[in-house]
Amino acid sequence: MILRKYSSFIITLAIFAVLLLIGLLRPTMWQPVALIMFYIAMGQAFNIFLGMTGYVNFGYVAFLAIGSYGMALGISRFYHTGIGLWLIPLGFTLAALMAGLLSVLVGGIALRLRGAYFAIATIGVNEGLKYLIEGAKFWGGSEGIIISKPMRVTFGRHLANSLSTFWADIFLFAIAVLAAYLTFRFMHSRVGYALTAVREDEDAAKVMGVNATKYKLIAFIVSSCVAGLIGATTWCLKSTYVFPEDVFEVSYTVEAIVIVMLGGSGTLLGPIIGGLIYGICKYWLAVLLPGLQLLILAPLIIVIIVAFPGGIVGVIREKTRGTAFDQVIV
Amino acid sequence: MQFLGMLSGNLLNGIILGAVYGLMTMGLSLIFGVLKVVNVGHGAFIMVGAYVAYWMFTLFGLAPILSVPIGLILGMALGFLFFYLVMKRLLDAPELSTLLATFAIGIFLEEIAKVIWGPDFRGYSWNVGSLHLPIATIPMAKIYALMSSIAIAIGLYLWFKKTRAGTALRCLVEDKEGARVCGINVTGFYALSFALGLGFTVLSGVLLTLFIPVGISPYMGGIYTLKAFVIAVLGGLASPWGAFFGGFIFGLVENGSYSLLGLIPNVEPFSLTQFVAFMVLLVILLLKPEGLLGEK
Repeated sequence: MILRKYSSFIITLAIFAVLLLIGLLRPTMWQPVALIMFYIAMGQAFNIFLGMTGYVNFGYVAFLAIGSYGMALGISRFYHTGIGLWLIPLGFTLAALMAGLLSVLVGGIALRLRGAYFAIATIGVNEGLKYLIEGAKFWGGSEGIIISKPMRVTFGRHLANSLSTFWADIFLFAIAVLAAYLTFRFMHSRVGYALTAVREDEDAAKVMGVNATKYKLIAFIVSSCVAGLIGATTWCLKSTYVFPEDVFEVSYTVEAIVIVMLGGSGTLLGPIIGGLIYGICKYWLAVLLPGLQLLILAPLIIVIIVAFPGGIVGVIREKTRGTAFDQVIV
Repeated sequence: MQFLGMLSGNLLNGIILGAVYGLMTMGLSLIFGVLKVVNVGHGAFIMVGAYVAYWMFTLFGLAPILSVPIGLILGMALGFLFFYLVMKRLLDAPELSTLLATFAIGIFLEEIAKVIWGPDFRGYSWNVGSLHLPIATIPMAKIYALMSSIAIAIGLYLWFKKTRAGTALRCLVEDKEGARVCGINVTGFYALSFALGLGFTVLSGVLLTLFIPVGISPYMGGIYTLKAFVIAVLGGLASPWGAFFGGFIFGLVENGSYSLLGLIPNVEPFSLTQFVAFMVLLVILLLKPEGLLGEK
């Protein structure tokens, strides 16, 4: 019984372990594996909110972006204080905090209202924030923040190099495990049950005394904080610079939607399967049809929504309903 | 004194631009009012209209004002196409589905435009003289845009209030089941509203090109999606007339704040006005989510 409850979480960890092993044993595979993990983690963080609530955060990429700024500010503003390697946890803390604050601001206002209004409020987050940074010219304005020099000065050339080529991806694995654990915990907790009730019938849930806004806000904040951590490691620590034009790029929101809907929203394994397939396909598409990825992805989203709204995991569950397998992949 | 002159000039420009903004949002509100669908890909249809104007002008030398009916027809054709291909299957699906579908349609149009016209900014200039006023000099092109916006909005209003089809549509907004019982072809009118909504959106994109000095690009729509949402929420989201007046308010706020932000040293006022749009949206959602002009 216990094993059955944890089965999907164990499968998740096994997939991550296999990916990590492939990357470690075959150095040429490290970058593709890191790319796939980025998509898996991004899908997982997105799924915590979309899957649980059925609400879409169209400004999702802004939360990764603000996380990358958190890390960049942590390193570029504090590297001369001599705290050495503590800069990294400081950067991650700032990333999560800043993404969390943004989510409290946006979610606190928009989640009191029903679905359509939330979508409307979030679609402006990305543009709004980008234009604020570029217009008011803080945090480097449109020139962004480059952290390669502070990193070299603090950590030395060798360590700075391995931080961005190796450790940044290891952090990504850790964040993906964290996201999987949070998703799993949510699904089997008060928050998850409350959100399921709200998603199925908001009015009925409210009558039963469920504070819909509170639980939606919890899921939104958690999803945003994890997104901030992903941005901090992949878009700052790994790339060693943050440019507003690069990080506030709406196509990442599209990719997150594709990953979650393809795999199956509201399930633990959905974004992982979606991320795996998407990561591999993207690698091929980038080689075969460079520049046309979005042209292919957009109709794909529509086909999934119209024909398989449950995604791959949904289809598999439909086919295996009543068998032991159905229980395993919840 | 010089500042006041500039401010009043900008506000006048704001009113003129506001009329086009209002027209730009009416389609969004019409679709939401009838189908209860938020068209998240709104800006992409504006972009299509902009390219219609650009192509008609550069290929055939057709004045942008005369491209307006072409925009309407193309937009309605796209509307019927996307309705029967996609939206019709999602009418009973959860809100999530229609949000994602319209978002994907928008991205799809942008990518098609990128394939056809390339990712760079393009522009044209339609020079038909200027109107010299004491506070500002206004190009005649903008005056024409203002007049056609108002005429088109009145036309839609009359169609809505005076014709049989318009009456059926209002009936549908009130009560879907009741309309069905009265023999109104609900799906047909959904298709018509979706097509009309997108037709007006593409049409407004044609007029909007007269106000964009930096030129048009496949990805220009994003910021107009945001602006249209701000305006729609100002006007109460489901009311095309509220949206039209919301457009004037937003035009004034945007151009007024541009003048004020220009007083702050070392900032880029143009970028900041886009941020102001977002803040206005959050403030309305916080204080008066039913819209400044909406009744409750």
